[in-house]
Amino acid sequence: MKFRGKIIDIACLNHFSRVVTTIAKLTKTCVLRLTPDNLFFVLSGKVANGGVSMWCELSQGNFFDEYQMEGVSSEDNEICLELSPENLSRALKTVQNAKSVKVKLTKKHCPCVTVSAELPTLSSVSRVVTHDVPVEVIPRRLWHELKEPSVPDFHVSIYLPPLKTMKNVVDRMKNLSNFLVVEANLNGEMNLKIETDLVSVTTHFKDLGNPPWGGGSEGGADPEGMAEARVDIRRLQQFLMGQQVTPTKAMCNIVHQRILHLVVLHDDASLQYFIPAVA
Amino acid sequence: MNCTLEGLSVKAFGRAIHALARIGDDLWLDPTDKGLALRSVNSAHSAYACFLFSPLFFQHFSLNAPSQQCSGSIKCKLLMKSVLPLFRCLTSIDRSVERCQISISDSSDRVIFQFLCRHGITKTHSVRFQECEALQAVFSSQQCPNVLKSPARLLGDMVMHFPLSQEEITLSTTPLRVSLRNYNEGGNDRLKMVYTNMALHPDEFDFFQVRDDSDITFCLKELRGLLSFAESHCLPVTLHFGAAGKPVCFSVEDVVLEATVILATLINSDNRNSQPTETPAPTTPRCDGVDDTVTIPSSQGSPMNQGCEAMQLLPHIYNANDPCVSDEADASAATTPASSVICSLLFRASEQNDDCFPTKLPVLASYSDDDEDMEENGVEFPSL
Repeated sequence: MKFRGKIIDIACLNHFSRVVTTIAKLTKTCVLRLTPDNLFFVLSGKVANGGVSMWCELSQGNFFDEYQMEGVSSEDNEICLELSPENLSRALKTVQNAKSVKVKLTKKHCPCVTVSAELPTLSSVSRVVTHDVPVEVIPRRLWHELKEPSVPDFHVSIYLPPLKTMKNVVDRMKNLSNFLVVEANLNGEMNLKIETDLVSVTTHFKDLGNPPWGGGSEGGADPEGMAEARVDIRRLQQFLMGQQVTPTKAMCNIVHQRILHLVVLHDDASLQYFIPAVA
Repeated sequence: MNCTLEGLSVKAFGRAIHALARIGDDLWLDPTDKGLALRSVNSAHSAYACFLFSPLFFQHFSLNAPSQQCSGSIKCKLLMKSVLPLFRCLTSIDRSVERCQISISDSSDRVIFQFLCRHGITKTHSVRFQECEALQAVFSSQQCPNVLKSPARLLGDMVMHFPLSQEEITLSTTPLRVSLRNYNEGGNDRLKMVYTNMALHPDEFDFFQVRDDSDITFCLKELRGLLSFAESHCLPVTLHFGAAGKPVCFSVEDVVLEATVILATLINSDNRNSQPTETPAPTTPRCDGVDDTVTIPSSQGSPMNQGCEAMQLLPHIYNANDPCVSDEADASAATTPASSVICSLLFRASEQNDDCFPTKLPVLASYSDDDEDMEENGVEFPSL
């Protein structure tokens, strides 16, 4: 197993660091899966993390100037590492102005992803910083848990309003309730609702638009009919808080009373986040 | 004592209070003819800081009551938590506060902080103090073989790589290289910790003198206050240090103020193993001698033997001689018996931390050849 990548372009570095920070806001630990073309940050939906799962895909060519990897074997040319995205994010943040950053898999006191950066100085010799982020190598027999989740057979798919706006609404609602109902229809309408014994609050969004998924689910369905999912408000808040830049597209798919599937697309990265509905 | 500060000086004074608040829970005010000194020491006596503002720093500075012999000996100890809130909002303090007056009258037991603010508002805080011997560290920087001087910015950039939760860092210096890494105690988190190392070329320092290679480990938290103070005033910071176990001194100097932070350093495991029996030996003479280590005259009141007992408990772990604490002999201190010079184990030697030693040992041991330590602590090494 070998992995080394190098980032020289400062914009790529900032972008990579933003992506990792977003992931860090979503989960304490996750799996970094490396393939010859892509990097994935994966969280599989286990009960321990509230049934939430995450799939973030980055194309290595858009971030790394050099990228070499050798997987476990030639058939399984992949590496799966469990790590704390917070640690990685912190390491990347402190080297934001670096001339170059190398990210590699190393064997130190334990397996590590080593982020080493060459920092600019006033003198002719540059400063070198290395951060050894401990990781755990995931054996191949557990890889099946890390498959890309299939897009669920949703009832409604809708574009999200600006995430900042949504965050403001959800932040307020969090003070009132622990659960929030997201409901949407195929007519571009979405409501965020909370209901408690004392108060019911609904925020209505309209004209959001529904992404065309090429036939499929909407065949003959009532465009006004609402699909809804009641979710833990903290999960949704976490997701909204973590978004660092305005994405190209942000949408949400709802499987009625089962799953809220949030999708954020950037030019060179995509993030899917699944929040299970609660009764 | 009576002094007046205006505008930006209030802010600088406030920043000093903030830096001192990182050190200890008490604040000593010591007005002398050299100016007003603010001091603090932490409960484990492993960190000490002093800010001395010269009379020029103030709009007005006077030590009144020169007639009495005890003049200038108003030594008071305030609770940090009652002073800190007065300087809470530093970003706007120079705009909101036009003038600040600090006065201590001989007759009362209060320090009066009076803020004359905009719109004719006057805020008066009177903070009760405890009369107390002055706290003073005497650190002879000439004795230190290694001296570094750098803009505060450089040190700030160095420590920025460490998380705020980082307790201790190790500074390694050789004539060719300076490196900084996090020092990690043993324990369950050891595998979860991010190890950070940064290396610099000596050229980056304004002044660089390393006579002895050294590896010193000290607390980062207590240092951050001074660094941010120095950074906000764009002042260079000078480091004086020697071998592991000897204190390290960070100092900042300006025309009108001087600031010093002295931190105890962890004794190096190599020293510990190479001369385990010798370690306790030099401690006693050094405690008496005010010459080559830090002495912090104080009225902590612990008798000397108490300190020595503590040293013998842990002779292998810490260099017990550093820094020493003693009562200062100032003008009026002729009455202070010399025997009240006390010695204190400064680094992490307080009782509440005793429990930590077993967990710390594995890391100390990891650089050594002491098999016993390793087995005892269950540390696994790939080579074993």
